[in-house]
Amino acid sequence: MSAALSARPVVPWRLRANAGLAGVIVLIAVIFLTGATVSDRFRAPANLLNVYEQMTDLALVSIGQTLTILSGGIDLSVGSQISLTACLTSGLINGNAERVVPVVIVVLLVGTCIGLLNAGLVVALRVHPLIVTLGMGAMLQGVTLLYALGPVGRVPRGFGFLAYGRVMGVPLGATLAVIFCLLIALMLRYLPIGRQIYAMGDDAGSARLIGLRRARILMLVYGCSGFCCAATGLYLAARFGVGQPYTGVNYTLASITPVVLGGTLLSGGKGGVIGTLLGAFLIALLNNLLNFMDVSKHYQLVAQAVIIILAVSIYVERPRME
Amino acid sequence: MSGAIDFAPPAGASGSARALLARYGVALMLPVLVAAGGAISPAFVSAGNLSNLLLQFAPLAIVAMGQSFVMILRGLDLSVASMMATAAVIATSFSGADSDVPSICAAAALVALAVGLLNGVLVTKRQVSPFLATLATMILLQGLRFAYTQGAPSGNVPPLLRLVGSGKFYGLPYNALVLLVLAAVLAIVLHRSAFGRRVFIVGGNPVTGRLFGIRSHLIIIAGYLISSLLAAIAGLILSGYVGLVDNWVGQGYELDSIVACVVGRVSLKGGRGSIVGALAGAAIIVILGNEVLLLGVPIQAQLIIKGAVIVIAAALYARRDAV
Repeated sequence: MSAALSARPVVPWRLRANAGLAGVIVLIAVIFLTGATVSDRFRAPANLLNVYEQMTDLALVSIGQTLTILSGGIDLSVGSQISLTACLTSGLINGNAERVVPVVIVVLLVGTCIGLLNAGLVVALRVHPLIVTLGMGAMLQGVTLLYALGPVGRVPRGFGFLAYGRVMGVPLGATLAVIFCLLIALMLRYLPIGRQIYAMGDDAGSARLIGLRRARILMLVYGCSGFCCAATGLYLAARFGVGQPYTGVNYTLASITPVVLGGTLLSGGKGGVIGTLLGAFLIALLNNLLNFMDVSKHYQLVAQAVIIILAVSIYVERPRME
Repeated sequence: MSGAIDFAPPAGASGSARALLARYGVALMLPVLVAAGGAISPAFVSAGNLSNLLLQFAPLAIVAMGQSFVMILRGLDLSVASMMATAAVIATSFSGADSDVPSICAAAALVALAVGLLNGVLVTKRQVSPFLATLATMILLQGLRFAYTQGAPSGNVPPLLRLVGSGKFYGLPYNALVLLVLAAVLAIVLHRSAFGRRVFIVGGNPVTGRLFGIRSHLIIIAGYLISSLLAAIAGLILSGYVGLVDNWVGQGYELDSIVACVVGRVSLKGGRGSIVGALAGAAIIVILGNEVLLLGVPIQAQLIIKGAVIVIAAALYARRDAV
């Protein structure tokens, strides 16, 4: 946006990083209390652990998406990246238990490299990330379909532990996602490059003037998003036992919802990954509650859309004009 | 953003050759593409194939023209595909007789106006980013559609709509005639009317628009209304082309229409674009897809080519516009 429109007062760091957190916590509380009055089984620890488990994929992909949005961009190739990595996982493993470790490493590397390629194209071509990742998304979907027109390969039985496994009763996949999220949150908070992501998203022009290296920041941000997509692809392959070429399609736009619910501004520079994690939990909780209330799946979309519209029209920072 | 506003050349004035090339250069690519297509596979230039191309061209072109209004106003409309599917569901919600066509059109127009208004109000009055606002209405429409049809829409498309959507008059599709009329009207509105000039001013620089005393909110809301209305028309035409209905009529048109606009040199940053550009962009996408099919390249490669085209086109424009 033009400088004249975005003349905002300086916001203290703490407030800036945590904006919107209160909103998502209130929404979670509201849904939880509603659920608790609807059904006893809803508030049972076993059900809440299920909700925790169900948020894993959305949480993983939206953590990466948060970073790209914080930096002032967006990653519209996440859906295709997830499809590709899920297919690669089951296709390359193809049932051989001893291939699991190398394939997991390769898949995570492939995801990261795709992210780096996105960043490289944004820098080299001077094109908005929206367009670059949109084009990349179409190309990767094509590549995925060239690799596999239908479900491909299979994963060994033990691999499902990543999705369904519980360590001392706690779901493994979701906990890994939470730990990853906390690491990213610490990076954003304490490492210089974390602060630089906010600075660039807030005002790209000023960030350039004070000498921030845009290419480096973009590579970190999109590389991280690619890594998250690969992790989601691994998780989905583990959950379904097989990779499917369209498995990730819905995540492209779905990954943006938790980010926004968590209080991150789509224009960049404000928000954080903890809010996104809570946003993903909020969506899982909402779907779970609607299931308990026996609301048809068709109305669940309506409920989700209404919550998004409410959230975005409440949080939004209004530019001050004079 | 630069402070300069990219005005459309005033009516009557002849732009320099270079400016004309910049504005309509993409349209010049069309004959080249057609000739190349004919050279590669003679079937491409057969009258039957060209007439079919025209038939597929109209729905995308109509959506792309609406998308161009929104994009010139610094926005984006992701809800167009959902709007198309909703219009298609409306088309089959009545008895399926020709006498229902006026009620179908009225119902589709009402829903489109409501959607456009919601988009516009969220973007202007609530300052929601266009991407997010239209994403939310996209999901909302999708949910309402599923709730209304219980996931399994059924019913018949009235014969009149089928004729408009898929019929041909001596090889010339009726939907191309609809497109022609719409394109002429929209070109006049965008390039020759006071409203159109305001669209470019508000899109080029909202502050300037405000200083000129333009009520930019109204202009932006009007942009979203136009986009939703055109998407509804395209949805009705497409349902006539497909002949049956499911919940996903028009799927992919939201991204394809944005790609068409970008290829047709409608700027994502706002303030630049033309109806001719949107039409040319849509034509290029349809032609490329058709040539890929005729060449016998695996259909998956279509996606790779489409992705490459959008990135390359945007990169070429970014170079030139940066100067």
